[in-house]
Amino acid sequence: MSPEAYRPLLLKNIHRPDSASLAAYRESGGYRALERALKEMTPEQVIEEVKASGLRGRGGAGFPTGMKWSFMPKGPGEKYLVLNADESEPGTFKDRLLMERDPHLVLEGFLIGCYAVGCRHGYIYIRGEFVYPYRILMKAIEEARAAGFIGKNLFGSGYDCEITVYRGAGAYICGEETALLESLEGKRGMPRLKPPFPAQVGLYGKPTSVNNVETVANVPMIVEMGSSWYAAIGRPKNSGPKLYCLSGHVRKPGVYEFPLGVPLKELIYEHGGGMLRDLPLKAVIPGGSSVPILTADKVDVLMDFDSLAAAGTMLGSAGVIVMDDSVCIVDALLNLARFYAHESCGQCTPCREGTGWYVQILERLERGEGKSSDLDLLVDLSDRIQGNTICPLGDAVAMPVRSYVKTFRDEFQYHVDNKRCLAKPSPVLV
Amino acid sequence: MPDQPQPTDQVTLNIDGQEVTVPPGTNLIEAARKLGVEIPHFCYHPRLSIAGNCRMCLVDIEKVPKNQIACSTKVAPGMIVRTRSEKAIKAREGVMEFLLINHPLDCPICDQAGECVLQDYSFRFGTGGSRFEGEKVHGEKGVLLGPHIVFDAERCIKCTRCIRFCDEVTHTSELGYFNRGDHSIIGTFPGRSLDNLYSGCTADICPVGALTVKEFRFKKRVWFLKNTASICAGCARGCNVNLGIDENRIWRMKPRENDAVNGSWMCDEGRFSYQRYQVDDRLMRAVSAAEEAAGGGRDLQAESAWEQAAARLAEIARQHGGAAVAAITSGHATVEEQHALRELIQRVGGTRIALPVHEHGEDDDLLLRKDKTANSAGARLVGGANIKLEDLIAAVETGKIRALVVLREDVLEGLGERGKKMREALDFLLVLDWRATRTAQAADLALPVTAYGEQDGSLVNFQGRMQLLRPGLRPPGEADPAWKPLYEIAARLEGAPFEVPKSFREAFRRAVAQVPGLSGLDTPALGKAGVSIEPALTGRGGPSIEGRS
Repeated sequence: MSPEAYRPLLLKNIHRPDSASLAAYRESGGYRALERALKEMTPEQVIEEVKASGLRGRGGAGFPTGMKWSFMPKGPGEKYLVLNADESEPGTFKDRLLMERDPHLVLEGFLIGCYAVGCRHGYIYIRGEFVYPYRILMKAIEEARAAGFIGKNLFGSGYDCEITVYRGAGAYICGEETALLESLEGKRGMPRLKPPFPAQVGLYGKPTSVNNVETVANVPMIVEMGSSWYAAIGRPKNSGPKLYCLSGHVRKPGVYEFPLGVPLKELIYEHGGGMLRDLPLKAVIPGGSSVPILTADKVDVLMDFDSLAAAGTMLGSAGVIVMDDSVCIVDALLNLARFYAHESCGQCTPCREGTGWYVQILERLERGEGKSSDLDLLVDLSDRIQGNTICPLGDAVAMPVRSYVKTFRDEFQYHVDNKRCLAKPSPVLV
Repeated sequence: MPDQPQPTDQVTLNIDGQEVTVPPGTNLIEAARKLGVEIPHFCYHPRLSIAGNCRMCLVDIEKVPKNQIACSTKVAPGMIVRTRSEKAIKAREGVMEFLLINHPLDCPICDQAGECVLQDYSFRFGTGGSRFEGEKVHGEKGVLLGPHIVFDAERCIKCTRCIRFCDEVTHTSELGYFNRGDHSIIGTFPGRSLDNLYSGCTADICPVGALTVKEFRFKKRVWFLKNTASICAGCARGCNVNLGIDENRIWRMKPRENDAVNGSWMCDEGRFSYQRYQVDDRLMRAVSAAEEAAGGGRDLQAESAWEQAAARLAEIARQHGGAAVAAITSGHATVEEQHALRELIQRVGGTRIALPVHEHGEDDDLLLRKDKTANSAGARLVGGANIKLEDLIAAVETGKIRALVVLREDVLEGLGERGKKMREALDFLLVLDWRATRTAQAADLALPVTAYGEQDGSLVNFQGRMQLLRPGLRPPGEADPAWKPLYEIAARLEGAPFEVPKSFREAFRRAVAQVPGLSGLDTPALGKAGVSIEPALTGRGGPSIEGRS
């Protein structure tokens, strides 16, 4: 697909002057979907439409959004929709773009979601460091409220909805939905045990659904254009547009929008402009730092949930990190392990203790003091962490560690045998 | 016919190849326990919320891809659980290895050694070795978190039981969880101190030696202690406790579980109450003021003391009538002692027995009672408190009472001049106590009795629950449980002859045979948990620990 062949849907407004303003958003047909949902559809119909669209959550797990909403109890009683704007996965910066450039798209999708699940007070949990997006979002909320899109009796439908924005203190774990809810309740952000799931016991003990920013941004177009139209975009069971965050050693890093299933190779070499300085491609992390790595010979894969799963990795947040052969893979893994060790909330034993242990072993390897047995130890520790922790943070570090060591074992062994790095320093850095 | 659980109220599952049937809602740790299968755990405590953070109780459940924690997993019909599959064992060994990498392994100097769950599990569920070769994360040692609790951060395995205890049981929330990753640490919030009324319980539930009790720390290795299952005598609650005893001394007191009385907890006031018995001024032998005044030895042989006491009481009763003899009993005395005192007074012809009230502070909504005597309910039940103390003192002052028997009460303390006059108005003051109190020193005859931890005895708590005090200490000198000298004196008075009980059990049987509401009871029935004998005694109100879990 050539860069011109696809017309963006999620990012269609971002290049407009003053794209964050209500006026600009209204000009492009903004809030028509909310009006339609409120006036012409029941909440159940909205959920059915989203279900039929095949929209899968864009936060990383890829769970069907309509189904998630349908888990919320029907009828009266307090319930909440929470927008997860805590984007903190390394290599992922798509939600920030949406909030900065098209906040009303996010708000409209969120309000439709609130209506669908029967929520009359939605919460937006935004990463504390996102000062700029926060200000833009607050301004957009003010505009929307003044226009009658937030508050009482929206579009004369009798439906009331308030929105509260909460700024997190900046912890990676608060992107995990239950830790987010703890933080939102004013407590230390640590994941909750499941069950009960948030749809039963969530924010303040009430049924709650938590959705990613990009996920809700898809909702207005589903309501306006219909589920069949939406489902035709992308691939079966992987429908709709997707934002891909391209970073690392490519000429044109950035956020790209294509249907789910764009070839990874095309993303790197066509849209991303190819390898920076033309050094050979060494590896790609396709879905944010927590997913297994792909070697250069494995990049002929489609960027959707199922294709990447079949390739032994994950779409995750679609944070594509490209590495050329100047990268020392041991150093890259150490960098990543340090991040997860620092961000482990410390609640459960394998993650709390295991992440720190990873760092010590990798530091040893980097110093040239490693042993061959360290490589097996790294893999074995991953086996003991993955699947045994409260939340997926343990998996998020265990998976790459196992994958890096297994995929690049020769390079790890080189560190052991030669007390130095196999990779040559990057000419860019030199 | 009592209600029998219906089959539909039960869930049958399979754990390690054995079928077990338990009520719905039971977690897998408890279900396995019923089979005698131990699922190791650190953070799980049956009286606290589920945290699920230690991951030690990971088990393998058929048709579930990932290991599940047994503490938060409820039983389901037909569930097949494996605690010893390769998958479960590998995970468990992993958790043990992870826990030990940053643990200081200072068992030789750790107070918890010998009763450390981490130590025990390391032996039973660990691999016996570690692959960790790095630098341990060090933490502060010997941090005083409050008046009684010392924290050793390096030993903490972050099970958060202590935090949950302060949040959920005492509702004081002094403790929090700070920092992240392997630098996570528990601690008090800024400006706070772990000084709630039950702070010692945090050390009890700490599975390792991270939280220790200041008063016990470094005093005694636990394997030297012999535990005696007894009752705290600090207030009318009667918390079930274990007395840790060695070298004829109580070194610590810890709560013993009893759902009907104290759950798993006890207050700090009760926990350290044993210290008040570790004094130098114990009464070791009978002391006669008359003998001393006559220039003879101060101490009397017990037999002579009983003879003298009987003679003086009989003489006063002859001269002034039986009503001139009265007694002050004590809520600190056992049922048997109170009953023996009552029998003695009745045999002399007396009728008046008063019970001093020791109430201070307030009842709280957990365990504490403002009645600081362990057996005031027992005294009322025995019928040993038929007159107010003030009326009795007035009767002494007006000369109506000429002889007074005082059991385990320092009645003159605090009375000042009035006490002096009261003493002068008495022809004979007989005191039975365990230490040389002001009243004992003023007595014509003071008889030594056992102190806490030195005798068997039954107590009735404020709920009407009869429980057993058990001895772990040898009494010093000639100190006996008070029922013995009281019966010995009574036996030396005129009247129908009776056998002096030769044992606590005989004394107990004698009391229950004569006290309405106690008939048919025997000591084995009381067991370690006691029995509820008189629900009407709960009339003074106050919540029970039952239902708080």
